[in-house]
Amino acid sequence: MLDRSLIAAIALAGALSMATAAAQADSQTKYPDWKGQWTRSSPVQWDPSKPPARGQQAPLTAEYQAIYEARLAEQVLGGQDYNPQVRCLQPGLPRAMIAYEPIEFIITPEVTYMRLDYMQEFRRIYTDGREWPESRAPTLLGYSIGKWVDADGDGRYDVLEIETRGFRGPRVVENTGIPLHADNQTVIKERIYLDKADKDLLHDDITTIDHALTRPWTVTRNYKREPQARWFEYVCDEHNTLVILGKETYFVREDGYLMPSRKDQPPPDLKYFDQSQK
Amino acid sequence: MVYRSSIGSIALAAALCVPFAGAQAFDEGKYPDLKGQWVRTDTGPPRYDPTKPSGRGQQAPLKPEYQAVLEASLAEQAKGGQGGDPTYTCLSPGMPRIMNVYEGVEIVVTPNTTYMLMEHIHDSRRIFTDGRDWPAEIEPSFAGYSIGKWIDEDGDGRYDVLEIETRGLKGPRAYDNTGLPLHEDNQSVFKERIYRDKADPNILYDEITTFDNALTRPWTATKKYRRVQNPRPVWRESVCAENNNHVEIGKQGYFLSADGYLMPTRKDQPPPDLKYFKQSGK
Repeated sequence: MLDRSLIAAIALAGALSMATAAAQADSQTKYPDWKGQWTRSSPVQWDPSKPPARGQQAPLTAEYQAIYEARLAEQVLGGQDYNPQVRCLQPGLPRAMIAYEPIEFIITPEVTYMRLDYMQEFRRIYTDGREWPESRAPTLLGYSIGKWVDADGDGRYDVLEIETRGFRGPRVVENTGIPLHADNQTVIKERIYLDKADKDLLHDDITTIDHALTRPWTVTRNYKREPQARWFEYVCDEHNTLVILGKETYFVREDGYLMPSRKDQPPPDLKYFDQSQK
Repeated sequence: MVYRSSIGSIALAAALCVPFAGAQAFDEGKYPDLKGQWVRTDTGPPRYDPTKPSGRGQQAPLKPEYQAVLEASLAEQAKGGQGGDPTYTCLSPGMPRIMNVYEGVEIVVTPNTTYMLMEHIHDSRRIFTDGRDWPAEIEPSFAGYSIGKWIDEDGDGRYDVLEIETRGLKGPRAYDNTGLPLHEDNQSVFKERIYRDKADPNILYDEITTFDNALTRPWTATKKYRRVQNPRPVWRESVCAENNNHVEIGKQGYFLSADGYLMPTRKDQPPPDLKYFKQSGK
């Protein structure tokens, strides 16, 4: 027969074990289920609620509106020199959140990772309570610190708030070349959360604060969870048919010959070649 | 006083209580701690077998036909070309070359997938550990499709080895920058055992075996990585395409000069054929 002290000891051992395992379980169930593959349900223009290009009505300063107009004129003539992604440079933020290709979230207590298949980027959003580092090499994706919020008070996190700083260029907002300031002092703030009515719909409220803008610019981009995840490799350089020589954009045909990207485009200057070797 | 049978009762009670709460949990304690930044320990050009020099020094068990491919690559490189190294235009190195770990790697273990986040060219890997079978069809990729299984080799209740098999490759791929070739049929299969050093948890090994039709036999090498001792490692951005002055037009590699003009990469290299341009437009 067990005496009272023994019963108490057994109960204590059980409780301690439960607490340890529960803590581990708790740390997993505290976070929203963002597993799987997310694809954009928004169109590719930055503000999905407005038409592309000038229709975006990007709140640009006069100086940067002029830069944008020059880029729009350039692309009408077949030029893409303003678009770093033509050279297979990673887009960085904010453009990475257009999600031309799927996204995957990997949530751990200290870091939330975002794998972005377009240009094979991945973001680290540090949620370990750290301060901003005193110095850090700037990057195209910036440095992100996040905080999980239980917005509805149900004991489970539902919003990831992120602030990103520490950028470098070149970056554009989207494919028509909406510019960001050359000083790269962009700050991006995000709130990422599941739709309350549809757990397979994710929203990212993104606010861009940048000196090329007259005011902070907020858009909401949406992503849907795919029922079956199939991951394909995106290798920009593999079939990139554009080549930029100097400031001129050319095409490389399937048969390997260079061709113009606009009417009457002059060929590249081959002054460094021995022309007799043709 | 607590008797032996009582101690046993307490232990049993504790053990019985754990599964109920832990059934839903990812028991991180079961997996080895692979957090942090891992870098390769070998010096010199990154290569498949780090115990030997690259290129011919690897003494790769190549069939004569593919030894000739290697020799041709080395000869072309000696003249300024890229030979059989396809990565100069920032193509992904693919497997097995990804595991040369040119820059840091972060390994993130989750119950169903272990991720290897590669800084170099960002050709990160997913190793599925959810018990899945090989899919009937695999879309070929440079990194391949990897299925893994955690093993508790020493029976201490904690996993210590990740065994991985990778199939579904595409090319072109080479083992290293000398263009040491894999077969163009891309039927490579890789088997790996990844584990920490028993004496030093900050050392990680990858025993990697390549099965490839360019080889006379399976080729095994052991790669070694060390964990950077910084609780907040610095992840340096690596953007291959930035300031990459290599240009490929057709099958020819050229160079872009600092002033933006095309240049040859070897003596007497002919310029690209400009037959689709109106020459009077110059």
